[in-house]
Amino acid sequence: MIDAPGPWASGAFVLVEGRSVVHTERVATDGEDCTWLQTEDRSPTVRLRANPHYWDRRRGPRLAEVEFRNDLSPAEALDLVCDGVGEVDLVTEVPATAARRVQRSRHAKLVTVAAVRVLAGVIDREADGLPLHDRRARRALNLALDRAALVREAFDGHAAPLHGLTPPTPLTALHRFPGRLRGYPYDRATARRLWASAGGAARPLRLAAFEGWAAAAQVVAAQLRESLDLVVEVSVLDHEQQYEARRRLAERSSGGWDVLLLDHGSQSADVPPVELHRAFVGRSGEFRAGPVDARFEQLFARLRAQTSQLRQVLAANRIDRHVTREASALFLVAPRSLYAVNRHVRFLPYATSLELADTSVRRRHWSRRRRSRRPVEDDSGRTTA
Amino acid sequence: MRAIRLRTAPRGTVRVVDPHPLNWLYLTYNTVEEPVRVTRGGKIRPAAMRRFRWVDRQTLELHFRPERFADGTALDARSFQRAVTEQLRWQAPHPPGTQFNLDRRSRVEVVDDRTARLHLPEVDGLVLGKLRATHIMTERFWRDLGFGYAQGRPGEGHW
Repeated sequence: MIDAPGPWASGAFVLVEGRSVVHTERVATDGEDCTWLQTEDRSPTVRLRANPHYWDRRRGPRLAEVEFRNDLSPAEALDLVCDGVGEVDLVTEVPATAARRVQRSRHAKLVTVAAVRVLAGVIDREADGLPLHDRRARRALNLALDRAALVREAFDGHAAPLHGLTPPTPLTALHRFPGRLRGYPYDRATARRLWASAGGAARPLRLAAFEGWAAAAQVVAAQLRESLDLVVEVSVLDHEQQYEARRRLAERSSGGWDVLLLDHGSQSADVPPVELHRAFVGRSGEFRAGPVDARFEQLFARLRAQTSQLRQVLAANRIDRHVTREASALFLVAPRSLYAVNRHVRFLPYATSLELADTSVRRRHWSRRRRSRRPVEDDSGRTTA
Repeated sequence: MRAIRLRTAPRGTVRVVDPHPLNWLYLTYNTVEEPVRVTRGGKIRPAAMRRFRWVDRQTLELHFRPERFADGTALDARSFQRAVTEQLRWQAPHPPGTQFNLDRRSRVEVVDDRTARLHLPEVDGLVLGKLRATHIMTERFWRDLGFGYAQGRPGEGHW
């Protein structure tokens, strides 16, 4: 991370003002392996300027300047991009519940991308009073879910059902194709039978969710109650509780939940298990809640031993099949990334990150019409300065 | 000869609100290059390097294009060697975790200005993805800032 402005590198932009860094706290996950808990530290404004030496002239940069505003809450930012012009041009991480508002806006448009990320449930395989150590019980949980309804009710359609831990994007089609196990269908009868054969529940199931996934947690809880005739208690973790939950998970100590819903992404689509499957199941995985899976470790070592891309895809596919067969997590959905974007900004979203080299603004954009003042247009269309 | 399509000069400003917790990383990706980057769809492809090839199962050869940093100094194979050397000083430099670590027994051989060879102590087919976290920086950066450690702080968890 870059602590201070300067012409330090060769990227499309140069950091000329401010900082966005994280303070980190080490948590050992396995031997010398570790993860870092992160606390954000951002200046109110961060400014990037186009790098005139950037070599990839076809890519960009097409913008002279990018200003990150850290002085606004996401809700304030959404108001400003939807109802006015000039204060905010691009808001990331728009919740699905706000998508229709953006679509109805006169000033903003909704841009979406099939992101390489998953929303899944970490299953505590060592929970007392529940048979979650038993594969039949974990399969029952997965069979009890109607993912199409979850996508409809909690994501307004802006997500794709998840089968295994490889998100369904165009680039992961091959990873998911050859010999792929079918994902878990919505099959309440089989779910009930498997749950009962695993011993059933001696107490309520505690379902926790990271903030932002509360609606999804409520839908999942309702489906589990209905499908398995199970008592489900839902809790939503605030920012501090999430930090603590991450710590306890990485330390392998009990967190007071049986299933924890969280999202996790990968920085590329080439080999999803490196970040996704490893995080949930691997020996060093920061979200592993249960014993080490020796077969998974063997399959992961085989993946690591491949230098050919095709062989890596096949090895990744084997890992995904294993994780699916073992029901190593509660597979929910792959949420799309949603952006609210000013109508005169040509923004090209990335599936794994936020990059602005190929973003441009049209001639009618406020920054190309006026230079010295920051114009603001209210919802009635009047422009003020 | 292939025609080069020139882009117009950079124009305009956008104001962004990005609540994503990886904003610190996105700023790095927008201002720094690594040997590889990730396309819009999510595929790893060469960035600061022009191309690569496996010489054998434990040697990755990287070819760099003639390029300059934003301060006008040259980016070459030695810049990559420096980036790897700096990274290997630390046990866990990357905030996401040790999954992005290069094996600390790795070493870089500079073949010429444009060519470097990354020698791995054992086969690691995931190394291309790990190079996404190998930030190539100017000499001035390493001298004046580093990832914290030129100013007396450790580089652990701060790359």
